[in-house]
Amino acid sequence: MKKKWAFVLLSVMLVVLSACGSNGNNKTTNEGATNGGNQGEKQAKITLFQSKVEIAESLENLVKKYKDETGNEVEVWGSAGDSYITQLQTKLAANEGPTIFSVQPGAEAEKFASYYHDMSNESYAKYISPNMALEHDGKVVGVPIGVEGFGLVYNKALYDPATVKDTAGLVSALEKFKADGVNGLSLSQEAYFLIGHIINTPFALQEDPIAFVEQVNKGEVKLSEVPAFQEFAKVLEAIRANSINPMEVTYDTQMGDLATGKTAIVHQGNWSYGMLADYDEMEVGMAPLPILGNDKLAVDIPAGWVINNKASEEQITAANAFLEWLYTSETGKNTIVNDFGFIPAVTTIEPTGLDPLSQQVFDATQAGNTIPWALNYFPQGIIVNDLAPLTSEFFLNASMTPEQYLEKLSEVWVKAAK
Amino acid sequence: MSKSKNGVVSTLIVILSLLFLSPIYIMLVNSFKTRSELYENVLALPGSFSFEYYSGAMQKMNFLTVFGNSLYVTIATVIFVIVLASMTAWMLVRRDNVMSKIIFFSFVATMLIPFQTLMMPLMQVMDWIRTYLHLPMLNTHEGLIFMNIGFHAGIAVFLYHGFIKSIPIALEEAAVLDGCSTFGVFWRIVFPLLTSITVTVAILDVIASWNDYLLPSLVLSDKGLRTIQLSTFYFFGEFTIVWNQAMAGLTLTIIPVVIFYAFAQKYIIKGIAAGAVK
Amino acid sequence: MNKNSKLWYCIFTMPLYLIFLIVVVIPFLIGIYYSFINWDGIPSNPKVFVGFDNYATLFQDERFLTSAWNTIKFTVFALISVNLLGLIFALIVTSGFKSSNLARTLLFMPNLIGGLILGYIWRFIFTDGFKQIGATTGIDSIFFNWLIDPNYALFALVIVFTWQMAGYTMVIYIAGIQGISDEVMEAAKVDGANLWYRMTKIVFPLLMPSFTICLFLTLSGAFKIYDVNLSLTNGGPIHSTELFAMNIFNEIFGYGNYGLGQAKAIVFFVIVALVTLTQVVITKRREVQM
Repeated sequence: MKKKWAFVLLSVMLVVLSACGSNGNNKTTNEGATNGGNQGEKQAKITLFQSKVEIAESLENLVKKYKDETGNEVEVWGSAGDSYITQLQTKLAANEGPTIFSVQPGAEAEKFASYYHDMSNESYAKYISPNMALEHDGKVVGVPIGVEGFGLVYNKALYDPATVKDTAGLVSALEKFKADGVNGLSLSQEAYFLIGHIINTPFALQEDPIAFVEQVNKGEVKLSEVPAFQEFAKVLEAIRANSINPMEVTYDTQMGDLATGKTAIVHQGNWSYGMLADYDEMEVGMAPLPILGNDKLAVDIPAGWVINNKASEEQITAANAFLEWLYTSETGKNTIVNDFGFIPAVTTIEPTGLDPLSQQVFDATQAGNTIPWALNYFPQGIIVNDLAPLTSEFFLNASMTPEQYLEKLSEVWVKAAK
Repeated sequence: MSKSKNGVVSTLIVILSLLFLSPIYIMLVNSFKTRSELYENVLALPGSFSFEYYSGAMQKMNFLTVFGNSLYVTIATVIFVIVLASMTAWMLVRRDNVMSKIIFFSFVATMLIPFQTLMMPLMQVMDWIRTYLHLPMLNTHEGLIFMNIGFHAGIAVFLYHGFIKSIPIALEEAAVLDGCSTFGVFWRIVFPLLTSITVTVAILDVIASWNDYLLPSLVLSDKGLRTIQLSTFYFFGEFTIVWNQAMAGLTLTIIPVVIFYAFAQKYIIKGIAAGAVK
Repeated sequence: MNKNSKLWYCIFTMPLYLIFLIVVVIPFLIGIYYSFINWDGIPSNPKVFVGFDNYATLFQDERFLTSAWNTIKFTVFALISVNLLGLIFALIVTSGFKSSNLARTLLFMPNLIGGLILGYIWRFIFTDGFKQIGATTGIDSIFFNWLIDPNYALFALVIVFTWQMAGYTMVIYIAGIQGISDEVMEAAKVDGANLWYRMTKIVFPLLMPSFTICLFLTLSGAFKIYDVNLSLTNGGPIHSTELFAMNIFNEIFGYGNYGLGQAKAIVFFVIVALVTLTQVVITKRREVQM
């Protein structure tokens, strides 16, 4: 008899627990939906989800200040970079999506297009620098978080880009470095740093990069017959012959070697300047990858922030207000430049105090002296799933020739594009 | 065995065990180093033992809150799993009909399914329940506990099933003759005999619940609800890992489980000893 | 009496089974449905019914087949090394040495560390640690970075998995060994049986239930491995360690082919279910009841 009661108690516990949970949940949503009352203009609480872990802490500080200044709440969700898309996708599918989230332009942006709130008529849309907005079907759907640029980041004491104007020049520079006992050009094993960024240049140098990518997808063009790629493969071969195997290098050691003078050049972006902070001061600059005589850095927007159109009316209003504040208030503008370290892509911000690499990228952008990120238009997942393994095979297997690499590249590309 | 031989072998065993744990040593040692020290030498002892990475990690992780969250979710899950799984397994063993076989088989078979394939449908099912049955399954600890029970059921039932078989049914039959109800037979006779396997299930389940990352990351969104594993994401950047802080943070997540285990395994000995005496 | 006992049956089994159905079985069935469609995972985007197309495709998918083979290789090695080591540990720990309790605590500790974290720590060890040891001791035929060699990377995974799981099986073997009554062991010793005889003729047969459990647990654990796979090798180098769960995951979330990923999952599940079922039947037959 006693035990029967124990069982009843157990089931009651179960029910009570779920009721407790539902009470708790109701409280939060009620809080969020309440408009009038407290501070006159208090808006719904919104959530922000983005993939850059490097700025996570600064973002939290930012939303704290936002709350102090306006009384409105923004909650920052976080994830490790790899699982960002998984979590985003799953949460959106379960109607648990965030109010604001970040997407990469290109394939990723296309995928989530049905979730975007149309920003074309919002107040802050006009602040976006020309050609920098994330667009879909002719509407503005995302604000750029900033611009980023990559190229050859070099130690000024060891390398002078003025002396190297083309592929041949680069190759002989690498050979000379090897003879001098310095690691010439260092790539790193992570997919983007191994191949994702450096392969952008030959694509970006084509007449119409997007159309060109389409042709490669369909197998209509053989990369081994395209001059830009032939030179590109020569560069990879030169790296293989004269530098430390990239598969043995991690991002940490890559930058550590640069900072300690063991490596002369790394293929990196302006974000990597932060990695040098732990070491002694040194002079670095960013130079273009001189394939076919290219003299421009690759600059584009890495991601944009979009608003989830499945969120409630009040949440969308609050999200708009937050973005407006971000780009116009002193706090917001300062944070973007100083704490996030982003090069701004909006007209309301005049950047000062940028680090040397970011300054170079900014100047290049202002002067229109850049090539775009064709890599944003690659088939989904190809960099991590196909290009990286193929390139690591190239670096681990000394008998693979540059021509063979390019042939395999074309094959792999067509398969992945299906 | 002579005493000195026992002593020598004993020491040898301990040394080998410690060697086995060398990766943990590496983790600990590097949680005290600065980033450039790490870059220089991975295996050496740090120049100075500063706890700054620990306090930094604790602050970033919001340690007390997430610790409490993990504690709540883990304890609730384990209690439900132990109670429900032992009950279920016992009934399955005692009434070994076709239905029982099917049920047992389904528990066991699904232990082979990788979680990744269930993720999306599961979230959708939970969303459906939330919308139509108005039970808050997502973004709550209770929903997470519910799902944990479902996922840990298989292995718990499996373990209990195997061990219940070794309990002679004569004891239960005697109790029934004495007028004991079904509940009484289970809770007064059978469950006490299951102590050692219960502790085993508890340990394994605590570990599984405490260390789970993927499921909580999908179910919980609010910052205040995060479990301790979710809070470690701060250190694992998209391209780079701040190793010294990461190691400090990771050590912090491991310590509670280690303490629990050191404490709990005394009961395995007690339970096993009691069983042997019988 | 009959109606009453049926009621009890339900009371005892249904609560758990219900939860289990909702959380595991129903999503699994939905997943089976999804394996017959073409979908990219976003609810607002269309689901196109394609029947058995996904199944036909996957059998031609070279990478999937390679991944299946690698998973089988990995599982076999892991099965042997985990259980061997676990059994040895259990035997050591129950042999009555003074340090047994301490040893048991220490040896189990690796299992307390979550998979993701474990992989990161060992990645650190294989990449930086091994390199350093190799440089200082000069034995660089063993101490190089295993993770960038397609041949060795899989073994690195086996080592890490073993390190994590040996303690797990050890615990179960300990319970099994403790369950062998001392009288039987004493009687054998009195009869003049030596260590080897005692081991093989008495201990092993009586440990069969533990074998059943441990083999099954290592089989399912090895086959489902994902966390450690992700953080240790991320499938590299060149997909040589892209085991099954990772291949599916990449198909679904990396390439956005949801239906195909689900189809792969079903196929492999069926195969592994058959294999483990066979294993359980065989070992259960050899269990000796006391």
